[in-house]
Amino acid sequence: MPSSNLYTQAVVDHYRAPRNFGALRAHTHAADGANPLCGDTLRMELRCEHGRVAEMRFSGEACAIAKATASMLSELAIDRSDDELAGLERVFIALVAGNIAGHDQLGGLNAMRELANHPVRQKCALLPFATLRAALAGRHCATTEETG
Amino acid sequence: MNAVPSVRAKPDAFDPLRYRADFPLLARRVHDKPLIYFDNANTAQKPQAVIDAVDRYYSQFNANVSRAVHTLGEEATSAYEATRDKLARFINAASRDEIVLTSGTTQAINAVAYSFAMPRLKAGDEILITTMEHHANIVPWQLACERTGARLKVAPITPAGELIADRFIEMLTPSVKLAAIVHVSNVLGTVNPVRDLAKACRARGIPLLVDGSQAAPHIPIDVQALGCDFYALTGHKLFGPTGTGMLWARRELLESMPPFFGGGEMIKTVSFDKTTFADPPHKFEAGTPNIAGFIGLGAALDYVEAIGRDRIAAYERDLLVYATTTLKSVPGLRLFGEAPHKAAVLSFLIEGIHAHDLATLLDHEGIAVRSGHHCAHPLMQFFGVPATARASLAFYNTRDEVDRFVAAIGRVRKLLG
Repeated sequence: MPSSNLYTQAVVDHYRAPRNFGALRAHTHAADGANPLCGDTLRMELRCEHGRVAEMRFSGEACAIAKATASMLSELAIDRSDDELAGLERVFIALVAGNIAGHDQLGGLNAMRELANHPVRQKCALLPFATLRAALAGRHCATTEETG
Repeated sequence: MNAVPSVRAKPDAFDPLRYRADFPLLARRVHDKPLIYFDNANTAQKPQAVIDAVDRYYSQFNANVSRAVHTLGEEATSAYEATRDKLARFINAASRDEIVLTSGTTQAINAVAYSFAMPRLKAGDEILITTMEHHANIVPWQLACERTGARLKVAPITPAGELIADRFIEMLTPSVKLAAIVHVSNVLGTVNPVRDLAKACRARGIPLLVDGSQAAPHIPIDVQALGCDFYALTGHKLFGPTGTGMLWARRELLESMPPFFGGGEMIKTVSFDKTTFADPPHKFEAGTPNIAGFIGLGAALDYVEAIGRDRIAAYERDLLVYATTTLKSVPGLRLFGEAPHKAAVLSFLIEGIHAHDLATLLDHEGIAVRSGHHCAHPLMQFFGVPATARASLAFYNTRDEVDRFVAAIGRVRKLLG
């Protein structure tokens, strides 16, 4: 395969060995996210303590872009508040849309800057963020059709 | 390497390279690789003859049709109406007046749903379709059912993607008032036994609509021999411009149907008390049509006929066998649709690799395939998958392209599998 700026080693690694994959029995928040355009689904379960994410797990059937984003997000979300995660989502949306070249807070997710050249795939990466936002807001479902 | 005696091609041998040269887009590069266009079931590329025909219309005789009496109007009208004749010949219709020009298959099927089905359906009636239909041959019937209280019934398919024809025929009960079936599946490539099904429908007095979107580019069509009642097709999959298509129906059926859209072009007389409608097919063609598009479609039909549909079908059959065998050598590959009688469409998945990732990574190698549900959610549900990748071939594709495609899949497996 020619070197791919989108499918970086980190993205492929998070896809093959997703972090925090599975169920979180003692969750305080949960939501099911769906991308109706491709049929992908993600479930996110969170345990929040003192207004911050203490634990997060995700499960579901999705492409490498969605899965790697969810996996990376599950690490980035820890110890962050609603507001901080909303800020992170705004930065991520700006990255995916090509409005910024990168951001310190995004870590490995910076690879998703390549999605600016793949408009059809942008929703794959936005699904985990939309699902997390829905879970934190106490909604139980999210779809990529309401992101952005 | 030993010298191989050169074999002279037979004069009638099908040479895809000769036809490739007619398609300017096929010469382009994508991600700095020669383009391999395997998304023909989504839309086909256009030969120069089609591009020129559209260009000529706009640069030499752009005018509205069927109303302007000046020279440009006459020229535009005769070029536009010539496509109706060509379509009639293309599907062997009994008369050019049975050809309604539409924006595509979707509009054609909706016209039948609104103008034929809705006025006739009552609560308790049924419409019979199959599991392998495109959304365009599902949703219009659901809308008709919602408004009338009728019910949609779905004939099953086998795991190999073949319609269970006996079940379809058994399901043609007295409550069925209309049947609709795809001629060639856009996902599976399956060619349905339309002639047999039409015979069974006819024996029971049930009108049959055939969605010919995928059939038109691949196999010869003869609506009289098929014995169906409605036939819909789209121009853009047939190497013509987007926004063109056709509904064929027997004249008496068209006469019995009220207009779908109202407006200019479709009337005889209009007063505020009463409007009388034009005869079919014009009563279904309100407003200024896609004139340039239909002139382009006429050129596409000429182009396809000049090559010969039997020759195209034979070449594609051979290419399909080659592609199927080659693709099956990929470990972990699951093929969807293995009907013995199928067109050159290959839907597949590779274990551990999502169809979208596969399509994006193939695109990085200059290869265009479709990934997703192919506007056939119920069929995806039948196979229990959210999406598949699909390579759909045309007569301008080659064995060499198939080899490069399969080699690229091998590299994707290495990365993600």
